[in-house]
Amino acid sequence: MATTTAQLVLTSTDLLSDSLSVSAIATLTNAGGSTGVTQTTGLARKKSESTSLYILYDRSALSMPAASAHKIYIKNLSTTAAQFVTITIAGEELGRLYAGDWCFFPWSAHDDANDISITPSVSSALTIEHMLFFES
Amino acid sequence: MATTTATITLSSADIQSDVLALTKQATLNKGGTTTGLEQTTGLNKVIYTATTNIVLLDSTALGVGKAAKVYIANKSTDASEYVTLTINAQIIGRLYAGDWMFIPWSQSDAAGNIELAPSVATALPVEYMMIHEGATQTSA
Repeated sequence: MATTTAQLVLTSTDLLSDSLSVSAIATLTNAGGSTGVTQTTGLARKKSESTSLYILYDRSALSMPAASAHKIYIKNLSTTAAQFVTITIAGEELGRLYAGDWCFFPWSAHDDANDISITPSVSSALTIEHMLFFES
Repeated sequence: MATTTATITLSSADIQSDVLALTKQATLNKGGTTTGLEQTTGLNKVIYTATTNIVLLDSTALGVGKAAKVYIANKSTDASEYVTLTINAQIIGRLYAGDWMFIPWSQSDAAGNIELAPSVATALPVEYMMIHEGATQTSA
């Protein structure tokens, strides 16, 4: 098995009157156990040049168990503050990832319609990076 | 304005033949600007004792199309315990013990709440925080 960790550090000295310093570290394991997740798509890069919807992870094309502990990382590499990508799960809007933003979340992949997609806000070149960790 | 940063580090020496050592930092700004987000729910900790689906964060008009960020962590230490996260009844995924998530939340419509359902009715601790641009206050 593999050992993969994901750490988040949230910091601010002026969001609140008390300094904010939140740290969380997760070891990515298969659902309900302590066996490390063993598969990944690797870090991928996608350059879009239209405002069409792009499927990043096509559930029906991936051989993976449903209702598991898969994890997804996405980052918008744009440096233009106004540019964003809208992330959807099975058509339901999760949120907008603006320039420089990243996200990390579990994906249950519970049925074939449960695709992860992005819709860029601009038709000029916009690049994102993404990665999937998944159970076999 | 405030300056808040979120840093992720993904590490593994053996998930692939190339060592994974990715670190990325984001400064949390209002949508489409370089002005930092100024409002937060603060870091909440709640211990759930029922498997009932609950509204963790209520979608509001002032948040629609904005750049709110949401952090949620399952603080259980029992590997089998998880919480299922949904938006507008669409399942995002399960956070197992020790797992966390950090997502943008654009509160696409009034039904776009973030909801949570614990897998067990024994005490299951969850931490969560939203950093945002604004939230509509509910009338009494």
